[in-house]
Amino acid sequence: MLRCLGSKLRRTIVGLAIGASLALATGVRADPASSMAGKKVIFVPISMGITLTEGWARRMKEHAAAHGYSFEIRDAAFNTGAMSELLAKAISDKPDVLVVHNPTVQLLARQIKQAQAQGIKVLQINLQSNQPSAAFVGANWTRIGTEIAEDIVKKCGAGSGKSGKVAIIPGQLTAADSVMMNEAAFKVFKEHPEIKVVSNQASNWEPEKARQITVTVLQQNPDLCAIFGHWDVHTIGAGNAVKDAGLSGKVLVYATGGGEYGEACKAIENGTLSAEWSYDADGQGRDAGTMIDLLLQGATSSNGSMLTVESPLKIIRAGPDYDPSLCWKMPPKK
Amino acid sequence: MVEATAGAAINIGRRPRRSLLEPIVLAVTLALIVLFSLTIKGFATLGNLSVILSNSTSLVILSCGMAVVIISRGLDLSQVAAMVAGATTFSTLINAGFSGPPAIILAILAMALIGFVNGWLIAFVEIPAILATLASAMFVTGLFRFAVLRGEYLLILPKSNPAVIVFKSDVLPGVTAPVALMIATLVVTWLFLRYTTAGRIIYGMGDNFQAARLAGLPVRKTTVFVYIYSALTALLAGLVIAAASGTVDFRVVTNGSLLFEVILVVVLGGIPLRGGRGGVRNLLVGAALIAVLRNGMTLYDFSTQIQDMLRGVVLMAAIFADNYLNPRDAETDTVGDL
Repeated sequence: MLRCLGSKLRRTIVGLAIGASLALATGVRADPASSMAGKKVIFVPISMGITLTEGWARRMKEHAAAHGYSFEIRDAAFNTGAMSELLAKAISDKPDVLVVHNPTVQLLARQIKQAQAQGIKVLQINLQSNQPSAAFVGANWTRIGTEIAEDIVKKCGAGSGKSGKVAIIPGQLTAADSVMMNEAAFKVFKEHPEIKVVSNQASNWEPEKARQITVTVLQQNPDLCAIFGHWDVHTIGAGNAVKDAGLSGKVLVYATGGGEYGEACKAIENGTLSAEWSYDADGQGRDAGTMIDLLLQGATSSNGSMLTVESPLKIIRAGPDYDPSLCWKMPPKK
Repeated sequence: MVEATAGAAINIGRRPRRSLLEPIVLAVTLALIVLFSLTIKGFATLGNLSVILSNSTSLVILSCGMAVVIISRGLDLSQVAAMVAGATTFSTLINAGFSGPPAIILAILAMALIGFVNGWLIAFVEIPAILATLASAMFVTGLFRFAVLRGEYLLILPKSNPAVIVFKSDVLPGVTAPVALMIATLVVTWLFLRYTTAGRIIYGMGDNFQAARLAGLPVRKTTVFVYIYSALTALLAGLVIAAASGTVDFRVVTNGSLLFEVILVVVLGGIPLRGGRGGVRNLLVGAALIAVLRNGMTLYDFSTQIQDMLRGVVLMAAIFADNYLNPRDAETDTVGDL
């Protein structure tokens, strides 16, 4: 089995090398000899139009073009109802690989099971469902939650001279990232009774809602030490509220995100965010592309569990440690 | 004309129907203020009052436009789409190198055009308001995402954006520009409804549209004007939100809760959906309830789901109390009334 996987991996690497050299020579051109040619991949994201999904799609498209398989996007545009319908339609189109971006741990679980049962390999990207499938590429949310919580303890806990008050702003309480980061963070905070979580309210991923929550929390707790926002996009709203209250630098604003320059680095550069744990959407896109290539060649794990690629993390901090090279840039649309 | 109708109603011995919900909602609001003051430390402070004010500016500005539309017996479902489109227009022009004044003039013209198209569809093509504005909301959202934002959902504003600079400043000590604008919009709406001919025609249209039309009032032109007014309040609210949060976010349109909150503010204050009654005072009562409730629940650290549930409970309680205290009969029951 392992040997089989090894030979497949070798074949992939050779394929990738051929694809890459062709791409270098003539722009992206499909390799007609590829065993992946003519296969079909469908990507159902929560929404296009955000740097995270656009960044992934860009890289996955490159892989599809290099190996001659088709890559289609069915955009749910932040509408979960539409997403289930799009996924049902995608399953009925019988792709070889289905890439799914789960808005919550529960919403698409049954459909993922159904797709797997029909022989469609499901790759879950960045946000996982309760239902395991062929593969997962994405951030390790437990690790991020733990690391950010530990950083907060270091800066706000015993011996720091700070109040120890923390506000958490999840996106949605049932989204995989929010569930896992909250669980991990509370586990850390439990061992540090000096840390007090004064607010834990979801923003529905909207910057304006995050701002309104923060204004209210700051009024009640002007000695707040840190805000842990679960996504950089909505946490920018919270960061603006901190700035307006004249508390920049005093209240630390933590976020996680895809690390795109215009979104994350600019906000860190101008002090709206204090630190971001970036899972590097550009790198994730490439990982996902590679995983699709492997799945199309029949890769499976030896014991039938999910093939998993954990995205390496980059920590981008404001102030003297700020390093813009940790961010990636989305090329402008032609 | 409206006073005359009301006077005649009194003469034949019928109690003039004022907005029944208003006193009940006011009482609920006061009860909540007392409850929160007793149970939340720091609720009844000047600082918290300014938080409540600053968090409800955009909601109140939008409600001013929506109230005028609803009083004229219309409904503007495109308001939140226009709000985001307005902020996008302004910010895109600024990013393209325009200076503040021409950018704002072009944004005003663009929003007036959206309002004009809405009003024209409703008044001249005679499409029901709910359908015309729903269609234009979809069209505007799609067009702006496709043609202006090139598929993006989000526009992050630089700190040098004039809207950010203007709206972050204080007009008077302690009074921020958004709060001042909210007060200005309330005053303009009140003066408009109370003292202008168009304002009185709007009540006439809401009271009895056919009668107003037969009496020779310019109902079509007024309808067009009403929707332009709504679109302009939307632009103002959009700039306030964009400046405060530093982003223009099209998900407020698709998530949809803001539009319902605006309609809720108007209706809870006692302006019936069939129009013809109510004014700025009603709107203030409705907005006060929503703002106090939202602030108290955030301070209690209730989760979003519990907040939604409690909002629903308060709304149902208000309607229930209204039904109990003011039982309907065949004479007072009207379609579209709450």
